[in-house]
This record gives sequence, structure tokens and C-alpha cells, in this order.
Amino acid sequence: MDIILEGIKEAFKLIFTLDSEVFEVVLLSLQVSFTALFIASVIAIPLGIIIAKNDFPFKNLVMRLIYTFMGMPPVLCGLFVYILFMRRGPFGFLSLNYTKEIMIIAQTLLITPIMIGLIINESIKCQNEVFSLAKTLGADKWQSFKLLLFEVRRGILMAIVTGFSRAISEVGAVMVVGGNIKGKTRVMTTYISELKGMGDFERAIATGIILLLIAFMVNSLLYHFQRIKSYGS
Amino acid sequence: MEVKTEELLKIYDKEVLNVKELVFKSGLITAIVGPNGSGKSTLLNIIAATLKKDGGRVYYDGSLTVPLQKMTIVFQKPFLIDASVYMNIAYPLKIRKIPKEEIKDRVEKIARDLNIEDLLNKNAHHLSGGEKAKVSLARALIFKPELLLLDEPCASLDPYIITEIEKILLKINKEEKTTIILITHDLSEAKRIADEILLLNKGKVVALKKRDDFFNSDDETVRRFINGELLI
Repeated sequence: MDIILEGIKEAFKLIFTLDSEVFEVVLLSLQVSFTALFIASVIAIPLGIIIAKNDFPFKNLVMRLIYTFMGMPPVLCGLFVYILFMRRGPFGFLSLNYTKEIMIIAQTLLITPIMIGLIINESIKCQNEVFSLAKTLGADKWQSFKLLLFEVRRGILMAIVTGFSRAISEVGAVMVVGGNIKGKTRVMTTYISELKGMGDFERAIATGIILLLIAFMVNSLLYHFQRIKSYGS
Repeated sequence: MEVKTEELLKIYDKEVLNVKELVFKSGLITAIVGPNGSGKSTLLNIIAATLKKDGGRVYYDGSLTVPLQKMTIVFQKPFLIDASVYMNIAYPLKIRKIPKEEIKDRVEKIARDLNIEDLLNKNAHHLSGGEKAKVSLARALIFKPELLLLDEPCASLDPYIITEIEKILLKINKEEKTTIILITHDLSEAKRIADEILLLNKGKVVALKKRDDFFNSDDETVRRFINGELLI
């Protein structure tokens, strides 16, 4: 119990004294996770809706693969990316291993299927009604698509929140591809893991609390945005 | 808008609609009646182009091109956008790029006509069945369609709301010359508002007559239907 209390005290101390090491780690974590989230959103939102709307050969197989990848262990994702980008791998010439760019790639690959799967589920619920309504009111294809985007906005937001939560909190993938190099690829989760190994539980708990606080703030912001965009009481 | 159909055919597991020729005259209200499974909704949805036909043709003012900008359909269980009532009603005008001020005026006017002014800021998903029916009707009427298709718009609504909806249908039919085709299970409703009545049975046309001719018809099937007997 003392360790936890000390950790909480230490967390506030680190926050209020603007500890440079912790803030460097926090900033890199946010940079990596938000970039991965942005890329994943650009891919997942249209793709999720397109997959849900259209029938094509092997659609069931594609859906099953997406659902399988939704549960992919981060460490496996990290390993896969590492092999692709290692010196002897197909993309080895890019020399990306142990950089923040490859951490972004790994997190993007990890969260994109999750976001696609969630958006497909949300879109399937109402797409027939939305497209039928749009058609009967004289909307063209693009207007129908925009109406569907609007109608599933809560599902999209939920996918974004889930994607962010998964990205910011995962440790396996970024550890494998990034290597937890101080000042270069060290993020909050890998830092916590290292602190635990060194027996520095107070600082580990403190970093964990900061991680949770950030996740709480980002989620609160997104939910606030969702409520503003709800239109009507 | 006049609607003419030729050789319409729809088959699911069995043939559900097979009508040789029908003409829904421009500017009239036509009620489609018939027992369950007689093909009423199938016919209406084919005219609305929300259901593919397996054969035949539909002419809109003599053209085979579906005039989606000039017609609409209102379903018994309307789908409303998860947004305010105002946004739901304004949507058809928004996609037609009508200026915001004009949209506001027209939404407020139609809301007054349908007694739903106090609902404009509410979320459409939080409305009662009767309120939803009125909102979906307002959304359909706001862009002044030349052809209005209604699939049991008054089913399971209370008599007061039915009267309000019927009044507005008669008003727009008179003022805008809107052609209205509506499905109803309520013969008294057909008697109150329809100019012509179409009776379908087992996917085939039994009669398409002027209202008074329909209710005074000597046709045995029509008489049995009016008397509430089960048609076989």
C-alpha cells in the first residue's frame, strides 16, 4: 500500500516539477499514438464503411480476417513489423527499426483492424435505412455517403477512442520495434516496464498515473466533442 | 405527376405482384387497399424505386427515368436521422443547396402547419410514434414533391393525429397539385381523402375506380372486401 501512495505522491511531484525525462517520454508517447491514430482513422473510416456497404467476392473471409486481427497480440504485430523492416527484411533498406517512425507503423497496423471492425459493425446497423432514406429524398451518392458518416459518427468516435486507448497503452509492439531507447524510442509503457525491472516502483506508478490521466483527458475531450455534435436534446 | 405502370412483375419465392397496366392520374389521391400480402407495399416500393422489379416498366410523366428529385416515399416506421427535428426536416433542402435563411423559413412554416414547432430542437430519436410520423411527413413535404408515396402513414396513430395528417395531405394535394399514392388498411380513411381507390388481391388488380364508384361497386370481390370478408 505504501508503494502505491508513494507512487501517487511521486506522480504529482513529477507533474508539478515538470520532470524533463518524464515529459520527454510523455511527449513521444503522444506523438507516436496520435500519429498512428490519425493514419489509422484515414484508412479505417472510409474502408469500414465501404466494406460494410458493398458485396464483393470473399467478403466473409475479409470480415473474419479483420475480426481475427482485432485480437492480434501487440507483441506479434511488433515482431511482424520488425521482420519486415529488419536489415535482411523486404523493407530493410529504409533502416527504420528502432525509430519512432516504425513505432508509428506498428501501432497503426495494430489499431487499424480494430477501428475497421468497429466501424463495419456500426455501419451495418443502419446503412440500408440511411441509403434508402437518402435516395428517397433525392440525395446523390456522395450526399448519401456523408449522411451515413453523420449517422454513424458516434460509432466512429467510439472506434477512435478505442484505437487511441489501444495505441497509448500497448507495450509489446513498440518494445519489439522501438527497443525502448532513451530519448529516441522510449514511451510511457516501455518506460514503466523498464522502471519495474529496476525496482523503481514509485516512478513506475507515477508514470502509470500520468498515462491514465492523459487517457482520461483525451477520452473526456472526445466524449465532449461527441455530445456537442449530437444535435438536439 | 402521372404514374403509369406496365406489366409489373415481382417474384420472391413465388409471384407477389403481377399487374398488367395501371395509371395513377396526376394531381389525384389514390388509396391502395387490399388484404395482407396482396402486394400493396411491393407496388409502392417499385414505384418509389426502393425495390427492384423483375419485369415491367414504370413511367413518370411518360418517362422511364426515375425523377428522384421530384418524388419521395414515407414509410409506416420512418427512419429519422439521429439529429434534431429541425435538421431532419431541413435535410432535403440542404442537399438541394437552398440558402440557409430560406431553409429556416420553410422549416418553421411546415412545422407550424403540422403543429410540431415545439419539437424542432428535440432529438428525433426521442419522439413518440405520432410525432415521428409527423416529422417524416414534414421532411417529405418540405421540398414540395410532385409525387408523394405513403406506406400506411397513419397506422397505429391516434385519431387526432390521423385527422391532422389527413388535413395536411388534402391541403398539399389541393394547393400544390401533388399526386399522392397511399397504402391504407382503413377503408374509412380511403373514403375520407382518396379520389380513386385501387384494390389489390394476391398481387393482382381487382379494381381501380373513383371513390364513389368503388364503394357503390357491384363487383363481388370489391363488395366482399368492403364488407370485411376474407378474400381468398
